[in-house]
Amino acid sequence: MRTEIVTEIILLAKRDKRLVFLTGDLGFNAFEHLREILGKRFINAGVAEQNMIDVAAGMARMGLHPWVYSIAPFLTLKAFEQVRNNICHPNLPVKFLGNGGGYGYGIMGETHHALEDVAIFSALPNIKIFAPAFKEDIPSIVKIMSLSKTPSYARLNLLQTSGIKKFRYGKLRKIREGKKLTVIVLGYLVHNVLKGLESLRQTNAVDLWCVTEIPFTLSTPLLNSLRSTKKLLIIEEHGFSGGLGEKILAKLMKKKMNINTFSHLFARGYHSGLYGSHTFHLKENHLDVKGISRQITRML
Amino acid sequence: MQRKNNNSYNNANESIKNHNYPGLISAAFRAKLYKELLTLLYKANSEHIGSSLSCLDILTVLFFSEMGKADKFILSKGHAVPSLYVILYFMGKMSRATLYSFHKDGTTLPAHPPQNLDRSIPFHSGSLGHGLSLSCGIAESMRLLTPKNKKAARVYCLISDGECNEGQVWEAAQYATKRQLGNLIVLIDKNKLQAFGRTSDVLGDSASVEKWKSFGFETYSCNGHKPEELQKTFDTIRSRNTMKPKVIICDTIKGFGVSFMENKLEWHYHRLTDELYKKAMKEIDARYEN
Repeated sequence: MRTEIVTEIILLAKRDKRLVFLTGDLGFNAFEHLREILGKRFINAGVAEQNMIDVAAGMARMGLHPWVYSIAPFLTLKAFEQVRNNICHPNLPVKFLGNGGGYGYGIMGETHHALEDVAIFSALPNIKIFAPAFKEDIPSIVKIMSLSKTPSYARLNLLQTSGIKKFRYGKLRKIREGKKLTVIVLGYLVHNVLKGLESLRQTNAVDLWCVTEIPFTLSTPLLNSLRSTKKLLIIEEHGFSGGLGEKILAKLMKKKMNINTFSHLFARGYHSGLYGSHTFHLKENHLDVKGISRQITRML
Repeated sequence: MQRKNNNSYNNANESIKNHNYPGLISAAFRAKLYKELLTLLYKANSEHIGSSLSCLDILTVLFFSEMGKADKFILSKGHAVPSLYVILYFMGKMSRATLYSFHKDGTTLPAHPPQNLDRSIPFHSGSLGHGLSLSCGIAESMRLLTPKNKKAARVYCLISDGECNEGQVWEAAQYATKRQLGNLIVLIDKNKLQAFGRTSDVLGDSASVEKWKSFGFETYSCNGHKPEELQKTFDTIRSRNTMKPKVIICDTIKGFGVSFMENKLEWHYHRLTDELYKKAMKEIDARYEN
C-alpha cells in the first residue's frame, strides 16, 4: 500500500509547496523517488519518533503541511503524549501514516503490531482515523487528509482492488446487499469477508457494510438494515477495548436498537503464545476467510 | 550595536551594577518585574516560585532586548510560566485583571502554559522534554518558508538543566545539528536543582558544555542573572552567524533574588505566606534600590 500512497503524495507535493514528509528512518524500496522529488522537504528524522512528531507539530503551527510516516505502533504508542499535547489538543493538521494496522507486520512480532491504535487515537480530540478498505480508497483518503484542517491518521495495510465498477469512496459504505444478517467490517478486512461470502450457499443473505473513517455516524440505511435483520456481526482487526465494536454498540444503545443476535470477531492478542505471518494471526483470531465464513454461517 | 528599545520602562539613569551595556535593563525595571512576579505568586498561592525566579532575567533580556518581531519563543520548562505571564503583561499582551486571574478557577492562565495565548505561546507545555523538538520544527519551517535572499527568523527555547534528563531533548539535539538549524538558540536555565534533588545527584550534569558540544552545538556559557552578559552572548552569536544550533548554558540560582529561597529545593513547592512575602519584597527593594 505504500506504493499507492507514495504515488498520491508525489502528485500532491508537486502542487503543494508547503508539503513536508517526515519518516522515522523507514521507507527502503518505497520512498527513494519521493525523497528525490521532495528534496529538502523530505526529512529522515531518524529513529527518534517523539522528536519527529513534535517537529511536525512545530511545522504545522508555522503553516507547513507535514506528513509523518512510521510503523503504526511507533506513532500511536511511543509518541502518544506528543500526539496528544502538541497535535490533537492544539488541533494541528498533521497527517500520520501508520503502516501495519493490526497484525500487518506478521512475524516481526507484537512490538510491530497495532491492535490498539484505533482505541488510542479515537480517545483524542479532533483527530480523524482512516482505515482504507480498497486500493481505490487511497486517492480519496490522501485528498481528504491533505485538505483537512484537523489531525488525521491512516491505518495502512496491504490492499486489493474492489472490482466494483462504479466505485465510490465512503466513510461507511454498503458493499453487498442482503436480508438475513448485517455485517460491519473495519477497513481492508472487507476482502476476507467478500471471499468468505463466495463460499456461502445462500446468496443475498449478508448485508455487508464497511467502515473506513472514525468517527462516523450510523446511517439510516444501516439502521434500517439492522431493524430488518436483527442480527449483527462486527469484524475488526483490532482489540475489543475502544475498537469498532464498542463504538457501534454504544451508538446502537443510544438509538435503542433491538438486536436479537450479536457477535464480534476481533483481535484477541496472543492467546496461543505462538507467532507467525499476518495470515497466521488472522487465522488464530478467526479473522481469516474461513473463520469469518464459519461465523457468518453460524449466524444465518 | 543599535538596539531597538521596546522597553517603555527602561530608564538609562537607573542602571544595574557591573554592566557593560549601560541601560540595557534598568535596575528599577528589574525590581518592578521581580516584585510583580512575587506579588502574583503570593496572591495566587502558587508553587514553582524558585523555578520562576531563576529564569526571570533570561526572559527579560529575551523579550525586552533580544527578540525580533518574527522570532518565536518556546518555554519548555512550563512550570516557570508565572515569569512569562509577568513579562507578557509588561509587554501589554494582557490586562492586569487577566494576569491576576492566574492559578484561579476559570482562568486562561493555568500553572503551566496554555497554548496560543495571544500567539505569544505557540504550544502548551508542562510535560518536560517537548520544547526543543517543537522549536526544531519551528526553526526548520522558518528556513523553508524564508526566501533565499532573506534571513530566517530565530527560535529561542528555554529548557531547564533537570529537563535534560529527558531522552527527547537529545533526540532533538541530534536533529538540530544534523539539520543545521543555525536559527535555533537553546537557553538552559541551569539552576542545578530539580524537583527532588540536585541535578548532580539525580542523573548527573546533563547540561554540561561537553555534552552539548559533543552533540554538535555551538556552546556558550554566561551568568543568567546578568542581563548585559546574556545580551553580549546573543550579540556574539549574531556576529558569528553560523549554521550550527546554539546553546547558552545560563548559570542561575533557583529562587534568585530572595535570600531565603536561593538554592533551596523546597521553593519548588512552598507558597508565600504574608510574612515571607513582605520579607521577599523588602529584599528586592534593597537589592535594586540604587
